[in-house]
Amino acid sequence: MANQKKRTGSFCGRTRREFLWQTGGGFGAAAMTSMLSDDGFFDGSATAAEDVYANPLAAKPPHFAPKAKSVIFLFMYGGPSHIDTFDQKPAMKGMDGKTVDVKTFGRGGHRTGGRIVEPRWEFDNYGECGKSVSTLFPNVAKHVDDIAFLHSMTADSPIHGSAMLMMNSGKVLSGSPALGSWVNYGLGSVNENLPGFVVMLDPSGGPISGAKNWSSGYMPATYQGTVFRSKGAPILDLERPKDISVDVQRRLLDSIQNANTEHLATRQGNSDLASRIASYELAYKMQSTAPEAVDLATEDAATLEMYGINNDRTRDFGTRCLMARRLVQRGVRFIQLYSGGSHNDANWDAHGDLEVNHNKHAGNTDLPIAALLADLKQRGMLDETLVVWGGEFGRQPTAEYAKGTGRDHNSYGFTMWMAGGGIKGGMSYGTTDELGSRAVENPLHVKNLHATVLHQMGLDPNRLSFFYSGLDQKLVGVEKVEPIHEIIA
Amino acid sequence: MLDRPSFAQTDDSQTEIDFARQIQPILAKRCFACHGPDEAEGGLRFTNRTEAFAEAESGAHAIVPGDVGASVLLSRITSDVEDEQMPPEGDRVSPEEIELLTRWIQQGAAWQQHWSFKPMQNPEPPTVQDEAWNQHPIDAFIYAATETAGLKPNGMADRTTLIRRAYFDLTGLPPTAEEVKRFNADPDPNAFAKVVDQLLESPHYGERWGRHWLDLVRYGETNSYERDGAKPNAWKYRDYVIKSFNDDKPYDQFLMEQLAGDELEEVTVESLTATGYYRLGIWDDEPADPLLARFDEMDDIIMTTGQAMLGLTINCARCHDHKIDPISQKDYYSFLALMADVTRWGQRGDQRSNNQIDVSTEELNQQYRDNDAAKRRLEGEIRKIEQSGIVKMSAPDQRATEGPKRDRNRILKEKLQDNLSPEDWKKYKDLEKQLADTLRQGKSLPQREMVMGLAKCKPKPDQTFVLFRGNPHSPSDPVDPAFPGIFESPAPEESSFTGTDKTAGRRRVLAEWITSADNRLTARVMANRVWQFHFGRGIVRSSNNFGKLGVPPTHPVLLDWLAQQLIASDWKLKDFHRMIMSSRTYQMSSEADPEGLATDPGNDLLWRFDPRRLSAEEVRDTILAVNGSLNRQTYGPSFYPALSREVLAGQSRPGSGWGNSSEEDKNRRSVYIHVKRSLLTPILTAFDFPDPDLTCEDRFVTLQPGQALALLNSTFVHEQAKRLASSVGGVEVDNQELIRRVIANVLSREATEAEVASGSELITTLQTADDLSRQRAVELYCLTVMNWNEFLFVD
Repeated sequence: MANQKKRTGSFCGRTRREFLWQTGGGFGAAAMTSMLSDDGFFDGSATAAEDVYANPLAAKPPHFAPKAKSVIFLFMYGGPSHIDTFDQKPAMKGMDGKTVDVKTFGRGGHRTGGRIVEPRWEFDNYGECGKSVSTLFPNVAKHVDDIAFLHSMTADSPIHGSAMLMMNSGKVLSGSPALGSWVNYGLGSVNENLPGFVVMLDPSGGPISGAKNWSSGYMPATYQGTVFRSKGAPILDLERPKDISVDVQRRLLDSIQNANTEHLATRQGNSDLASRIASYELAYKMQSTAPEAVDLATEDAATLEMYGINNDRTRDFGTRCLMARRLVQRGVRFIQLYSGGSHNDANWDAHGDLEVNHNKHAGNTDLPIAALLADLKQRGMLDETLVVWGGEFGRQPTAEYAKGTGRDHNSYGFTMWMAGGGIKGGMSYGTTDELGSRAVENPLHVKNLHATVLHQMGLDPNRLSFFYSGLDQKLVGVEKVEPIHEIIA
Repeated sequence: MLDRPSFAQTDDSQTEIDFARQIQPILAKRCFACHGPDEAEGGLRFTNRTEAFAEAESGAHAIVPGDVGASVLLSRITSDVEDEQMPPEGDRVSPEEIELLTRWIQQGAAWQQHWSFKPMQNPEPPTVQDEAWNQHPIDAFIYAATETAGLKPNGMADRTTLIRRAYFDLTGLPPTAEEVKRFNADPDPNAFAKVVDQLLESPHYGERWGRHWLDLVRYGETNSYERDGAKPNAWKYRDYVIKSFNDDKPYDQFLMEQLAGDELEEVTVESLTATGYYRLGIWDDEPADPLLARFDEMDDIIMTTGQAMLGLTINCARCHDHKIDPISQKDYYSFLALMADVTRWGQRGDQRSNNQIDVSTEELNQQYRDNDAAKRRLEGEIRKIEQSGIVKMSAPDQRATEGPKRDRNRILKEKLQDNLSPEDWKKYKDLEKQLADTLRQGKSLPQREMVMGLAKCKPKPDQTFVLFRGNPHSPSDPVDPAFPGIFESPAPEESSFTGTDKTAGRRRVLAEWITSADNRLTARVMANRVWQFHFGRGIVRSSNNFGKLGVPPTHPVLLDWLAQQLIASDWKLKDFHRMIMSSRTYQMSSEADPEGLATDPGNDLLWRFDPRRLSAEEVRDTILAVNGSLNRQTYGPSFYPALSREVLAGQSRPGSGWGNSSEEDKNRRSVYIHVKRSLLTPILTAFDFPDPDLTCEDRFVTLQPGQALALLNSTFVHEQAKRLASSVGGVEVDNQELIRRVIANVLSREATEAEVASGSELITTLQTADDLSRQRAVELYCLTVMNWNEFLFVD
């Protein structure tokens, strides 16, 4: 095995033994072999070094045959109201303004009752399954037969800061790797010319806590999310300064690589040097592959129309949905799109006027999301692409203030949904009570959602681990967590 | 007594099995789920010798020392019958593991204590055949170990390599070409020792070595979470650390000050600043569960203290007994009780009282007190006169003066004069003037000096309980402050807690125990760290974890010897550095040797010096240093490097919490960059600057395309290339001279003729074939050299 020559500390300063711990002891030798790049880009390069570049992002085998190859996480930042979108509450009909006893916990603290805000949108039944969806999502509604709704989601915190960390990293404390980092670490990237974990932000800004939401925590920064922009060069420092042509850059690179090859000649047995030489060639290639991956010029007019890119309301999110599809086609493992950014009504955080807020954000995203599902399906990609929709929590049935329709946060019960990637369509799992105040039947925790994502990607959530701080750290924590078997096809 | 290489033992069937290293991890991994601390299915538990060897409920014995046939453990793990197989689920025990277990039982199933939990030895260095390797104790240890594997350590590195290694190692900065030349020409046999002395006296030494400590204590200057608010005066703790290294403060004192700087015989501004140690962690200003948040914060401190100071993952015992190490949940909470007077960082409404200590001089405090008193007196007199006028006013006006301040002032302005006698009015105006003067005086006083630390503690801490499954809402047994049982140290007497009206006096007892020379781990852990930072890896590679899940030492006897040396040198590090750096082992060449690579490719035996990539700070600082723009000013508030709009766009409020520093400040060393938890500086994270939320024992060293992009395309690097070009004379100089100067500045050596030729060709081609200006061509040449592996790696 070629990598036997590598000094054990060359990857991240970890020893072989720790490495085995990190991979859960499950696929030690196999994983180490597969750590080696095998797409052969070395062959034609100007710097044929003897050692092989151990790209930490090289594809790694899953624990078992995966259903999904990629994940697209549509993050509705701020927390969309479940009872106004997908979790219909007929019992609330005509209850607007009535005072009820109901325990809630949000940014306004614990309360024992309040004034009901009746859902503001009508619901209709859709699809063969007859799922009822509100008029906020008339286009997504057409795909209910491909969707599994999770109505009994719960999370540990109803406060944005900790709840965002929970949905993204499984913990309310900052410092742990994001879900996308776990996937990136567990599977690597099948396309070495693109990052394995891509994040695309809302034009209004990032979510609160910014980069903490896609941090790789105690793992190497290699696994952190890379922010892709929808305008200009997609990745930081990807673009050459304007006065440097491809030829000039190649000339500079050759000059660097010549010096590096000379330097290496007297230092055999130091594979880091060869790795760094290879990483320059990879960077060079990324400069052409990454912009191409997100360049929509080759998409036909019908596709652009379908995603709503010709419409001001839907252009931003539609562009990102289409970019996501293109990235999936190129083997990117995990893509997270934010609907909403910044603060207040720039995201789904409807404390003031629920109607204005949700009409805005649903209106911006409904068509693009439906287009993404339709497009993935017509291309035969939906089976292998897991689409996840939801925010960090839902919203309360009662009003936050004495007047108005604003709802406070609710982590006792809310809705998320999944589609594709081996998930059963046309089904709803779990329920909330008749006000949607809390999960009652088959309650689910964020950990179950995370476990399901990993499971569909071919990773055992209770086995995928990284040794840190004396523990085999896992995304789902130390206690065994089950994926949501009932929604798995 | 020789240090044996660990890998040489595994294949040798004659060698005695090491229970702690080879057997215990197998039991833990394969059996503990059902036969461990939490469960004893079938009455069997593998956590201690007695229970593991006892008769199980089935009547059989899992382990019978010396009798492989009678040991049911072996028959069950090798059984083909599905109902009998152990473990019943999951992966089977591997053939190698079965082999180890079998041999261990054959050899008598010795159940030894883990090496690091035994008291330290005071070993003598071995004597070896090679005279050159017999001169220095470290060399004798290293030579003896390589010898058992049939290897010989490398010869000495050349002087050019050596001085570059030492400069980066001690200061994180390169030598100049001139310094290299001088060293090369120095005939003094002590030439290297002189260089080391000089580097240890440089203030840059503390910047480099202090940063190692900052990694360990997860140094950050903000609180994380939604607001990620700044921690005022956090930088003073950073300066405290740097200065402590520069002052060669004994390590035991360094720990004492951080753990109990407010409880010492002599409390100083410095020792109070050191208690900033407790204030470095993340803090949620609106936790969903405030009680849980309090224990999360304590856990963060216990994790950091346990790992950074004791190399022990006490934190693993928060919810249950430690699965592998003999640390009980009771140990965890007893340890917590030793720090139970530590308050939370703050509350949302008051984010200063608990963490900002007023350390102003008595003189200044008196001035503030006098000013306050004068202000209060004047305000009282003024109000008296106002009220005497107000009582004469109409009812609605009187009512208005009782309302908002704005209304009161309006009424007073309009009507007070009419309701006062001329004398009172004059007196009133006079007092107002005096008050204004007093306020102005107050404002002109020098700022009170504040430091971040334990400003408020709980002198009478709440009773600490063991928390059932770590749940703060389920307290079970009460516990008293005590040290973890494995240390076999008696619990401190209540009377040893000399608390005051401010603190409980427990932390000082904890600090004294951690820093005592008898502590089995403190000196070993620190000696190992110093070794790690010199050689790129510890003798124990898992330098935060000396427990059973850690990596066993490659040179256990050397480690104890080093730890004893550290204590013997009064815990002072500078002499310790001198001792290590004067060894052949440190001065060895990093060259590859086919035999060494074949026998010990991981270099566990240290047959060569490991080359290394520069750290994140070294990369940035060196780029600035080689073009002469590095601002070497030491200490002071942190600065904000320029971040591009794209980077700031990731924030919910782009630019929030990021200041604008002067151009001069932006050229300061990286250790002074503001550490904002949610907005780390990209050029640093690209080169593996650690996440500041958790303790980092050893940084990752990745080689990824993002680094290449940063060094090829970023605004920063092009700006620096331009500066480099002008620092060597710019376009005025001819190619050959220019290249010589660039290589000399960037790589601290003379250029070869081949480099001059190829560099010159590059510049010419860029000008002619690519039609770039000479200025730009020269800049780009400069850029390429900063991308060379030689620039980024140290041999």
